[in-house]
Amino acid sequence: MEKSRKLKRGWFGSSVSYIYLIILSVCAMFPLLWIVLSSIKSKGELSNSPTSFLPKQISFDYYRIVIEELDFGTNLLNSVIVAGSTTLLAIFISTIGAYGVVRFFPRFGKALTKVLITTYMFPPILLAIPYSIIIGNLGMFNNRFGLIIVYLSFSVPYAIWLLVGFFQTVPLEIEEAAKIDGANKIQVYSQVALPIVAPGVVAVAIYTFINAWNEFLFSLILMNSSSKMTVAVALKSLEGQEVLDWGVMMAASVLVVLPSIIFFMLIQKRIAGGLASGSVK
Amino acid sequence: MEQKSYKDKLISFSFILPAILVVGLLLFFPVATSLFFSFTSKHLIKPNYDFVGFANYVKILNDSTFWHAFFTNIKWTVVSLAGQILVGFTAALALERIRHFKGLFRTILIIPWAFPTIVIAMSWKWILNGVSGFLPNFLVDIGLVQEIPQFLSSANLVFMTVVFINIWFGSPLIMVNVLSALQTVPKDQYEAAEIDGASSWQSFIRITLPHIRIVIGLLIVLRTIWIFNSFDMIYLLTGGGPAGLTQIVPIYAYNLGWGLKQLAQSSAVTVLLLIFLLGVSTLYFRLLNKWEREGA
Repeated sequence: MEKSRKLKRGWFGSSVSYIYLIILSVCAMFPLLWIVLSSIKSKGELSNSPTSFLPKQISFDYYRIVIEELDFGTNLLNSVIVAGSTTLLAIFISTIGAYGVVRFFPRFGKALTKVLITTYMFPPILLAIPYSIIIGNLGMFNNRFGLIIVYLSFSVPYAIWLLVGFFQTVPLEIEEAAKIDGANKIQVYSQVALPIVAPGVVAVAIYTFINAWNEFLFSLILMNSSSKMTVAVALKSLEGQEVLDWGVMMAASVLVVLPSIIFFMLIQKRIAGGLASGSVK
Repeated sequence: MEQKSYKDKLISFSFILPAILVVGLLLFFPVATSLFFSFTSKHLIKPNYDFVGFANYVKILNDSTFWHAFFTNIKWTVVSLAGQILVGFTAALALERIRHFKGLFRTILIIPWAFPTIVIAMSWKWILNGVSGFLPNFLVDIGLVQEIPQFLSSANLVFMTVVFINIWFGSPLIMVNVLSALQTVPKDQYEAAEIDGASSWQSFIRITLPHIRIVIGLLIVLRTIWIFNSFDMIYLLTGGGPAGLTQIVPIYAYNLGWGLKQLAQSSAVTVLLLIFLLGVSTLYFRLLNKWEREGA
């Protein structure tokens, strides 16, 4: 009796859960689906039949326009250079930083968590003002290196925060065994600790890359020449054109969003836990 | 021996030095610069400026547009966050409940999180487009409305539209963190509660919530700050319009600094924004510390 009641409740609860999750999934997926479908429809179809789902005829015309006429490849390359360099620098600085905090300055580490949370509060728009003044004084507008430096400001603290959690899982005994074998600090770090947390470092690196790839505000303020723009700002500038062609916009959007989603899927499991748990204790 | 330990300390210190430089030079120095300029008459383009004391602050605090932006910002943050928590939490609980397709659902549901803001803005602008957009036309086709609704330009709809898009984007992050927090709740406690005849709702309130409240609390602090500071999404969706209805403080500051070129006043606004956030976070952290002392 008791058991059948429970079974019934479980059956009802999970049916509701399935229905709820299906509805949410449709909402979550729809924009991605829609920009992909819109980008391969023909010109007339977008305006003539706004609610028809599948394209009557698949056309890659919009992609051709985006790449050939708008030279979007240059912007993609800019974004790869900026996001890639930011990631390499940020990961170098934050892996040694996080390790140093965990192993050599544990007390300082506690204070550091507070400092990092404080920096998280700094409104990006607050930082945008001094950055624009300083970068202007250095004559580095439209300079990718300037943008990379600015990007370190939000990528390094976040990466340290996540990496501290990973380094804390490295058992001290392994490091001490290496020390007895005569390894110095730098060797212990690079040959013992770093390989252990390598999968975590890769995840944090990809996350850093995605965040730099997606960034908009600083890029808007510091890069205004179309040959130096990153993809986010280039997309925005498409909107300012006299006749906005949504098919072109959607094709460009697909090129911007796909790398982000693919990378994200690769690391989602690893990054998710670290976000909350790495910071609390 | 003495020398070696000195060298040893130096090596240890050099591990964290680059990080300290980044945080100091790229974060604290710029904030100090902003604070400095907020007491001057700095213009975006003109090189010369004077000290004006608190004049910028007085001017802003007497500007009704600022207060309107401030209250819009609070509304934007509270409604968005409440929606994100509701959807994120229920989605996580539903995922815990089901047996099949868990991984598939999870993967699909986090897609919005990976969207760059610019693509969020462009895709929704296209879906909601007042002429050829899918959703407005669809609503007319199924007979729900007579006229094509203008989601992003009608005064009645625009605020709820941007909040909806923010909930769409932010819920996955909450969901994923709630899911990983739920893994830390000891399973035997549920079994014990079930034997005592507790309902699922009771075990949720008595067992689940107390266990995860610190992780979730911290998450809420961080999301509050993040949403309050968010500039991109509204800037790209509406630019703060129509008629300032979606103008939150970061947009107001941007328009002052880059639109009107009053960089000094813009600095003062952002300093006020930071002070407000520091205050709110202090309150939040007091509460979190209290919870931690009580020992969840």
